Parts: sequence; C-alpha cells; structure tokens
Amino acid sequence: MQPGQKYTHSFTVSSPVYEGFIHVFNDRNPMHTDAAFAVAHGFKDVVMHGNILNGFISYFVGECLPVKNVIIQRQSIKYALPVYLHDELEFTAEVTGYFESVDTYEFKFFFKNKAGKKVAAGEIQVGMIKH
Amino acid sequence: MEYKDILKQVNDIFIDVLDNEDIKLTDETSAKDIEEWDSLNHIQLVVGIEKHFKLRFKSSDINSWKNVGEMCHAIEKRING
Repeated sequence: MQPGQKYTHSFTVSSPVYEGFIHVFNDRNPMHTDAAFAVAHGFKDVVMHGNILNGFISYFVGECLPVKNVIIQRQSIKYALPVYLHDELEFTAEVTGYFESVDTYEFKFFFKNKAGKKVAAGEIQVGMIKH
Repeated sequence: MEYKDILKQVNDIFIDVLDNEDIKLTDETSAKDIEEWDSLNHIQLVVGIEKHFKLRFKSSDINSWKNVGEMCHAIEKRING
C-alpha cells in the first residue's frame, strides 16, 4: 500500500443487510422502519441506518486490503445524503498517508450512489499489527 | 521554531488526543505520569505530532524516546535542522 493508491468496492444495502442490522442492534426508530413516518419527514422511503456504512468500511479494512494483520485505530464519517433499501453504493478509499514510525496508514474514503452523488465520506486510520 | 513553542504545541496535541485539559507537559513527563498515555493513544500522539509538524519519524526514532523532552528535542532537530 502506497500513498495515492486507490481501492474500490461495490456494496448493496440488501434486505439481509438491513434486516440483519435491525436484528442485531435493535434500532427500530420509525425513520428506519416506518415508510409513512419517513415520507412525512421529507424522505422518499425509510432511511437506512448510517452505521450500515460503517459495517461496509469494516468489510473493506478486514477483507479488501492486501494484508490481514490490520486494526482500525480511528474512523470518522460524514453523511451527506440518505441511503435507501437496495441502493448500490460504490466505495472508494485512497491511501493518503503512511506513518512508518507506528506502521499506520491513513485513508480518505467516500461512498457514491448510482446517481453518482456522494452519500458519505470520511477518514480511516488503520494500524498494522506486528507478528 | 523555539523549543518552548514546540513544547507548547506538543502539549496542545496531548490535550486534544488524550482529551485531558489538565495536561501540563515538562521535559521529564513520560507515559507513567499520564494515565491516558497507553500504547494505542501513543500511536495517535505520534500520528498527531507528525501531521502537525509535517514530518515523519522512523520507529527506531520514537522507540528511543524516554520522555517528552527527548520527543520535543527530536522534533526541534528535524524542524530546525
């Protein structure tokens, strides 16, 4: 991994992802579960939980990087647009820094929807665990 | 940059990273003096310092630091040449 290197991955907020998130974390806020409530508050349907995207980031760090001895040390995310059930998201992460002294990489990332709009963006700091 | 300014800026980084407004670093301060200065926070401190001062250290550099004074003198040496 080198600064400037980019990684991409496609994610879909499928029914199993949505329902699994609710099953595990029990967040049944009507914004996420009641379409009439969500529409009454300006959305076109129930809004997906923002932290589903953090699950996708976990997958990226744990499964998509070329090394496995990784641990997330810090992470931030800003949400720009709502994500809906069945949305397909294109995730892009770029290595923006490497700190050799502590064997840590910094990434900037964003998610775009099918319309090409950024729905969320942020930073991840990933450390390499020594053997 | 004068040494006292480096120490002040490092102090501010410690306050921010460790979320402890009471931190007042001296040259003799070490990890045993600050409860929050554990191994994970040490990484955040080093990353914060390297980004703030726009420099990079090697692992051999930071492993030799025994206290804040050695850390700040290393920063001073890199900044001022």
